Amino acid sequence: MPMTAEPHELLEDDFLKEVHSFDFWFQAVEGYLLDTEHGRDPVLVEEPMEEVQRENLISTLCNYCVGETAALEASSGMISYAPNRSIKIFLSTQVVDEGRHLEVFLHRLRELGVQDPDSEILQRANPALLKFKEQLLEYVDSRDWEAAVFAQNIILESLEFTVFGAHAETADPITQQVLSGVIKDERRHMGFGENDLGRRLALTPHLRPRLKKIKRQLDMLVMETFAGTLRETGASAEDQARFTSNYLATVARLGVDL
Amino acid sequence: MNDPLQAEAPTQGKDTKAPPRQRYVLDETGFNEVPKKYRKFYRRFGGEGDTLAPNEVLCPVCMVVVRSSRELRPGDRVYCMPCFSRLVVVEANGRLEALPVY
Repeated sequence: MPMTAEPHELLEDDFLKEVHSFDFWFQAVEGYLLDTEHGRDPVLVEEPMEEVQRENLISTLCNYCVGETAALEASSGMISYAPNRSIKIFLSTQVVDEGRHLEVFLHRLRELGVQDPDSEILQRANPALLKFKEQLLEYVDSRDWEAAVFAQNIILESLEFTVFGAHAETADPITQQVLSGVIKDERRHMGFGENDLGRRLALTPHLRPRLKKIKRQLDMLVMETFAGTLRETGASAEDQARFTSNYLATVARLGVDL
Repeated sequence: MNDPLQAEAPTQGKDTKAPPRQRYVLDETGFNEVPKKYRKFYRRFGGEGDTLAPNEVLCPVCMVVVRSSRELRPGDRVYCMPCFSRLVVVEANGRLEALPVY
């Protein structure tokens, strides 16, 4: 690929090879993860927290762990049947990101005094999110690329991107920093999903009715999960509306909104 | 060129002469989500009060501001590296906007 000062001058194939590469990922995350420990500045100290606030944060983080585990299992499972090598390499970076997210959220739970995060997650997991995870992994196991990308990189990643963003605005400083790094990773995952599916739909528009059906099936689970999580983070009705508009804008751009 | 979006949008038509494009020297913006060599081409969006310069458009996919070293015009193609989107510049609502091109 020719070296260029202006990325906008790259040919499309070169652009895709570049952004899907492990090297691009490595240099990108270096920008915001260098010198962090567990996803945040190690000198940050815990601020006093009301018990109710701590409890809500634990419940929220438990659900984040469910979402991240779903994405970790799904993205790793999709590598074997990804349509090309460049996408396989991108997915390998997503797997690393999801593993990191899970680890930093589990670490944050321990910092908040949770002795056994696994049993806490079992108790506090939102049933709608568990159901969503089950459905996503069914798509992955059946090697259904379009359904898996749609469920994971469009629906789940949009949900996470918006919820984490809304939560970061009201969170304590440590959680805020952890979330900030995670959001930067989610931007890649979400963008990959929209662009991969967009290209696929442009070539095979007959996929659209099927994706619309999947959307209808999963929408209820997603909305329930959202409402529950945003309530726990203290997010406003405005934040909920913001998510809905982000998500709806994405599916509208892909033409799978109705 | 094979890719029509690769070409710079025309600066002058058959009968009209459009002014030459303004060039910009880009500085670092603190944006740190892409490799160092690309960072000056992006910046965080400041929300509703954030006015975009003539060499900037907002990525509708991830809400990062995409910057170019030259003034942008409708028909130009830019890339949003933070979210992997190929965008085309359009004029809408009296300003420049970007639409993803799949």
